Amino acid sequence: MECIRLEYDVDGNNFSSAGNASDSVKRTLKQLGVSPASVRRVAIAMYEGEINMVIHAHGGRAEVEIYPDYIDIYLKDSGPGIADIDLAMKAGYSTATENIRSLGFGAGMGLPNMKKYSDEMKIDSTVGVGTTVFLRVKF
Amino acid sequence: MKVSEMVKKAGFAVFTKGEDRDIESGYCGDFLSNIISRATDACVWLTVMNNVNVAAVATLIDCACVLLCEGVEPDKPFFDRAASLGIWVLGTNDNVFEASKKVAAVCGV
Ligand SMILES: Nc1ncnc2c1ncn2[C@@H]1O[C@H](COP(=O)(O)OP(=O)(O)O)[C@@H](O)[C@H]1O
Ligand SMILES: [Mg+2]
Repeated sequence: MECIRLEYDVDGNNFSSAGNASDSVKRTLKQLGVSPASVRRVAIAMYEGEINMVIHAHGGRAEVEIYPDYIDIYLKDSGPGIADIDLAMKAGYSTATENIRSLGFGAGMGLPNMKKYSDEMKIDSTVGVGTTVFLRVKF
Repeated sequence: MKVSEMVKKAGFAVFTKGEDRDIESGYCGDFLSNIISRATDACVWLTVMNNVNVAAVATLIDCACVLLCEGVEPDKPFFDRAASLGIWVLGTNDNVFEASKKVAAVCGV
């Protein structure tokens, strides 16, 4: 099926661009006339995933496919991986440092928010190799 | 009530300006995950965070303005990004509770 493809490099060394990919996707969906409620869900889920790549994985890549009724988002990084995914999914669980927390991150709500605001979520992760998070949000 | 009107009535400092929208609600918080999932759009977002990520989250939630409390000022990257994105960033010496009361009284939210 025809879809709109968007790709973004997510810089892991630069907080000042964190959120740019999510913002760009949000603007695109708005222009396409997707409902504000759906745009909001996409923005929340993708921002959390984007931020995780920045604060936990030295950055990565976001690949986005927009279909008429849904959006697929792949967040791919070559970071440290997640050893215990069930534990990482728990609300409030975070390995973020005090320094990261002082920037407003590290509430341990990122993965739970991604789950809550997406319709499908899948985490593939290998310790020492990297993590891919798949998100689908239906409009 | 428009942001510019609230600024005048409440006497908040103005660091950067944006589109003069109507204020419909308020939200207080510093953890970005809470803000992004709970703040409603067209809100006044009251916080003591002053780094560049506040600008990114403010755009994503479409708040009417950011109100930095307790005398906090935006750092340079935050200021620059807010200015280029066109986000209202305001300031007050009040703590978050007192500032919220002022916003509520002035804007009727
Ligand atoms: N892309 C990733 N690479 C490595 N670890 C991750 C990644 N995403 C999440 N994690 C791990 O899962 C934990 C929980 O993530 P999250 O719920 O987003 O909370 P937070 O980001 O606030 O720590 C993180 O603290 C981190 O240990
Ligand atoms: Mg997170």
